Amino acid sequence: MRKACCLLLLSVLGGGASQQKKLDVTTFVVLGEGLAAGMADFSLRDVYQDKSFPAQMARQMKTIFPQPLIQSPGIGNVPGFPSLPVRVPTTLQTTVRTPFPPYLFVFNLSVPGFRVADSINRRPSPPLVQDRDAVQTSTNLILGFPALILGKGKPLWTQLEYARQMNPTIALVELGYYDVLEPAVKGDPSLLPDVAAFRTNYSTILATLKGLFAQVLVTTIPDPMDTAYFTSLSGATRLVGAPADVLAGLYKLHPSDRLTVNGLATIGSQLQVNETGTLPAGSVVSAATADQISKRVDALNSEITSLAQQNGAIVYDLRTFFRLMKASGIQVGSKTLTADYLGGFYSLDGFYPGNTGHALIANELLNLLNQTYKESFSLVDVNAVLNTDPAVRFTPAVKRPGKGSK
Amino acid sequence: MANRCQLIGLAVWLSTAQVALSSAFAINELGARAQGMGGAFTSIADDASAIFFNPAGIAFQKGLQLEMDELTVIGLFRFFPSDPPAGTAVPANGYSGSVKPHFIPVANMYMTKDLNPKWSVGFGAFTPFGLSANFTNFKDADPTNTKFVGRFAGTRARLESIWIQPTASYRLSENSSLGLGVAVVHTHLLLEQSILNPYDEGRTFGLALAPLVFPGLDPDLAAHSIARFLPEGRSRVAGTSNSPGFSVGYLYKHSASKTNVGLMFRSAVTHHLKGRASFAFTDTGAIKPFLPSPDTISKLFPNQEIRGTFTTPANYVVGVSNSAFWNSTIAFDFQIQDFDRFSSIPLNFSQTQDTATPAERRLFFNFGNSYQLHAGIEKRLKKIRAVRAGYIFDHTPVPDRSVGPLFPDSSRHSFTVGASQRLGNAEITLFYQAMKMLDRKTNVPTNDNQFTNGEYRNFAHLAGFSMRLHFGRDVK
Repeated sequence: MRKACCLLLLSVLGGGASQQKKLDVTTFVVLGEGLAAGMADFSLRDVYQDKSFPAQMARQMKTIFPQPLIQSPGIGNVPGFPSLPVRVPTTLQTTVRTPFPPYLFVFNLSVPGFRVADSINRRPSPPLVQDRDAVQTSTNLILGFPALILGKGKPLWTQLEYARQMNPTIALVELGYYDVLEPAVKGDPSLLPDVAAFRTNYSTILATLKGLFAQVLVTTIPDPMDTAYFTSLSGATRLVGAPADVLAGLYKLHPSDRLTVNGLATIGSQLQVNETGTLPAGSVVSAATADQISKRVDALNSEITSLAQQNGAIVYDLRTFFRLMKASGIQVGSKTLTADYLGGFYSLDGFYPGNTGHALIANELLNLLNQTYKESFSLVDVNAVLNTDPAVRFTPAVKRPGKGSK
Repeated sequence: MANRCQLIGLAVWLSTAQVALSSAFAINELGARAQGMGGAFTSIADDASAIFFNPAGIAFQKGLQLEMDELTVIGLFRFFPSDPPAGTAVPANGYSGSVKPHFIPVANMYMTKDLNPKWSVGFGAFTPFGLSANFTNFKDADPTNTKFVGRFAGTRARLESIWIQPTASYRLSENSSLGLGVAVVHTHLLLEQSILNPYDEGRTFGLALAPLVFPGLDPDLAAHSIARFLPEGRSRVAGTSNSPGFSVGYLYKHSASKTNVGLMFRSAVTHHLKGRASFAFTDTGAIKPFLPSPDTISKLFPNQEIRGTFTTPANYVVGVSNSAFWNSTIAFDFQIQDFDRFSSIPLNFSQTQDTATPAERRLFFNFGNSYQLHAGIEKRLKKIRAVRAGYIFDHTPVPDRSVGPLFPDSSRHSFTVGASQRLGNAEITLFYQAMKMLDRKTNVPTNDNQFTNGEYRNFAHLAGFSMRLHFGRDVK
């Protein structure tokens, strides 16, 4: 502090409205859930966080972007897969959060498993590690660290409060995906968020950010049905080897049904040993359910767009990007990435992109900023990211010629 | 009657606020009659305001003269920033630097008395330097984007430099005289500004904290963000001084040609201010809960005694007038003020141990010299004693670098009109002056982070009156 005083000596004392629309990237704060956090392959961990699309954007914008990096194997559960008790620190982890000593503040405030309401209401609470609550533990390690270990009187901010305290110059809001992801994965539209309540909460977030005079960028909610977690029967052939009509016959499926990653794994295992049986719950989502989910996503996105307009935020249509990825994939160098399971865009969980997917999203957002604010941020070198992306290297097993005939 | 007038004059003078009307913080509009003629009065100086315009003039005045001058100013100051921070809500008609209330009274008092045919004496209380600008459009708790964008360069400045000047004048000959006034100059200066600018000195603070807040990250970039975690502060520096000054004048009247020539010199004055510096901070800033104690920042900026020094310029005026034609007087003055003396104000803080207040903080202004051209005509009439008109060009001494909320200055053109009427031994004089300050655009890179670059559009209406009472011999 003495040094700070000395430095201050040099400088102290130096020295119908229209709001200025220009971009200042000094403090880039992100409010999001697992997607913006960099969740991939079933957990949140440093190797993927470092390549999350906000982190890649920040590098291109040449601004600092302190993140709450979590040592591998990471933390968090993902919907559709078995939840594990929280083990922190676990094998291979030392300080859990890196670097250590930690940043006093982080700018990527995204917490895996956060719904829109959580952004406003959920705050860190002791103890730091709560072995039966992965989301709360993630909240503590992301939003409550190091405040929770610094003693009494330190603020325990919600995600939105934290963002306000960071006094951002630019804020990115990626919320709502988890709100629809869990109902989609469980095939239960009744779990989908109520549109009116969603609007109220989302409005609170945007109004707060507007009050900070930050430039706000929001993303629409991707439709889970466009992700690799859900595969049509015809698409499943590539993964399990059996034609769609065979699968429909064996498992009493409707041609329009979609198989989840768990369903594909079960079918693949059964076919490999020539034993078919009943698929476990959560393996199949009917077309009607899928349609209900997609329509609710549309309704929520309509609210996001409307609220963004009201609050002067710019909107990136992430839902359309995911849809285009589903429809036609994308060529990166010599590689074509698709939204199929093990198609290169998504990580192993099927709904969170891999590093290259994050790079592509980052470039979309950078392009939007360049166009909106007449900036000239260079784009991420997607080829370079692709060359080190584990998600791109995952491919379906190929039946070796002659091996099955023995 | 005389006593009452003096009391009224004193009361008004004591309650006045001042505003800069001429170059930077100079005020030349200190006589209603003179100002009706564009201030071209150095070679005329035939009423009690001669104590200000040319002390030699009182040698030609008979009897006892008491004069009170009152000036009212409506200053319309507007600033349109060229490059404010993102998100700043700039008012559609710019930021206003006008003081509230808009009417600023400036009062002066003069008295002269002839002792004998050779000697005359006088007394004046007048304000040749003053400043009153106020860009404070906010309360501390207001959202930062609605606050005046240039607040870190200054929000409020107030200067009153009051000369209390006994004067004596001697008739060198039938046609010439010499005058000398020695003054006690009482000065009060107040400067207010916001501190911990997140785009400037806040980053210095941030740089020091970067290894603690964001270890391992680029310290320069980190400093920019940390600066935004700081509370915003306000500082106020106020002080007073009493210093000596003097005025010297010479007046020559060539009877045959009805031509007068006047010279006037008013000394520069160095003001050694003693006062206080005080600080206050908002209760915001993410960093605050993580500092060693809640009052860590306040302790870095303790309220304390302070000293400061600055110099107001000397005045050099030469004037000539002629009354040979049309029952009128035509007058011209050329005036130089050596504002280059006003280069900086060093502020010396008294509490420097374990604080952020330095032993000396120097505010640089680096003014240049200024000059003014005054031209005026007075036409003597029958029903109305006289009517007047005048013009003034005033070249600003303020360089682009120093143009800001404290000195939103530019060169200016003024047009004046005035009239006088006699009521017994009293003379009432009125004047009006329209002052158009040239629109001034600044673009100084070193001011970018103070956000004082932009366009300054200013205009002022000035109106005044004087009451002159004349007792004794040869009442005019």
